[in-house]
Amino acid sequence: MAKSDDCIHILQGLLVFGNAVIGMCGIALTAECIYFVSDPHGLYPLLEATENNDIYAAAWIGIFVGFALFALSILGIVGVIKSDRTLLLVYIILMLITFAFEMASCITAATHRDFLTPNLFLKQMLERYQKSDPANNNDQRMTEGVTKTWDKLMLQNHCCGVLGPSDWQNYTSAFRATHSDADFPWPRKCCVMDAQGVPVNLDGCKLGVPGYYNSDGCYDAISGPMNTHAWGVAWFGFAILCWTFCVLLGTMFYWSGIEY
Amino acid sequence: VEHVGYKPTLNKNPPLKGLKTASTFVLEQPRCVFDKYSNADIWLVVALEQTAAAFNDSVEPGTPESAYQSFPASVPAYMTLNATLANYPCPKPTGDITVLRVGSETSCAHDMARYTCNGPLPGPGPYQVKFLALEGSEPVAETDWSDPITLETAKSLSSISTTDGRHSAGMIALTTILSILFAILLAGLVAMLVFWGSDSCGGSSSTFSKPEAVTVQRYNTHHVYDQPAARL
Repeated sequence: MAKSDDCIHILQGLLVFGNAVIGMCGIALTAECIYFVSDPHGLYPLLEATENNDIYAAAWIGIFVGFALFALSILGIVGVIKSDRTLLLVYIILMLITFAFEMASCITAATHRDFLTPNLFLKQMLERYQKSDPANNNDQRMTEGVTKTWDKLMLQNHCCGVLGPSDWQNYTSAFRATHSDADFPWPRKCCVMDAQGVPVNLDGCKLGVPGYYNSDGCYDAISGPMNTHAWGVAWFGFAILCWTFCVLLGTMFYWSGIEY
Repeated sequence: VEHVGYKPTLNKNPPLKGLKTASTFVLEQPRCVFDKYSNADIWLVVALEQTAAAFNDSVEPGTPESAYQSFPASVPAYMTLNATLANYPCPKPTGDITVLRVGSETSCAHDMARYTCNGPLPGPGPYQVKFLALEGSEPVAETDWSDPITLETAKSLSSISTTDGRHSAGMIALTTILSILFAILLAGLVAMLVFWGSDSCGGSSSTFSKPEAVTVQRYNTHHVYDQPAARL
């Protein structure tokens, strides 16, 4: 019996360690998802206007799953040390529910990241940037959000359009409907600005003289943070779930061995 | 009218992003071309490729026959961008950007008082331009017609397809692996509950007792004190 006592103690020790790691990862997941939800790059209005902001829903689920994992890990540690069948059964069932939610969050984040292509943002920018006649309040709110976000993006990242200033030349747009091509081949925010926010050389910008306008596209500045967000939620969640899987299997094995 | 052997071209140096837009284009300035005509006014004549041949050199600028506003509906060409030789000094200092932007004046596009407006071009063209030097109202020199210049046409934004996002390999792997793990866990839970109470899995040898809650009660009686005395 001594040998199996040792085995039991080793299994208990492993399960306690496993649950401790789950608890810490739960806190980390909550912190990471709070960071993403706080939208440090200010890109949420663009997603809201695509009506496809599920990677934010995935981050919100991640916050609550993180707390749940932390609480359940404590329950698990208590249950393993006391070898209480009821506690451990409750733990296993609640953990399975949490597992399901976190699985949903990971798959949502990964799937919806794939929808965020350059063409999606291009079409949205052309349809909404500086649109002058919104259809209703909701439309107005989304238009303002998109316009402000693009202005900020183009100013801070020294870029123009999604793929470049030629976006404004190659396609019709709501911007083109109110701003003539001769005066505004591309928006003023695409011009190189001085400290006061005034174009350094307006004629140079309109002509497209290198050095007086922003020639790069903004897609990298959008897709970088969004990729980090989506993959951070999806892959970190995946790693936690793999670890949780092992701990749960061990707990089930432990549970079935407890004398009742 | 002297024919000067110069062909107006789009600006080559430096490369301009806005060389041709939907309603403007950028020409090189005619430097060192009209050097013999220091008294002349140099005008730019803009015509469509198919109406260039119909342009008559004796048409005077600033009249309804050469008005920007009547082009291309009633006149074959319009005259604009008036300059003298002083505006085009020869030779051109290197490093300066010297261009002529055709179509840059939007304020006078509908102003019938300004026939020589350099207004935005009304369509994609193709256009042909030439320079004409006038002394008083007599044409004295002209350049060749340029090659046809076709402007950009914007595609409709509804032609942008947003539904071509394919699922990435990472997402498929993630979904598959997570689904399998979840299925295994559910199977394990079911197995656990089904075999609850039965000894078939594992048997009594692998069960272990809960650590008993042993309580030690101290009996403070005479027996405890007497025992060491009894042993001895």
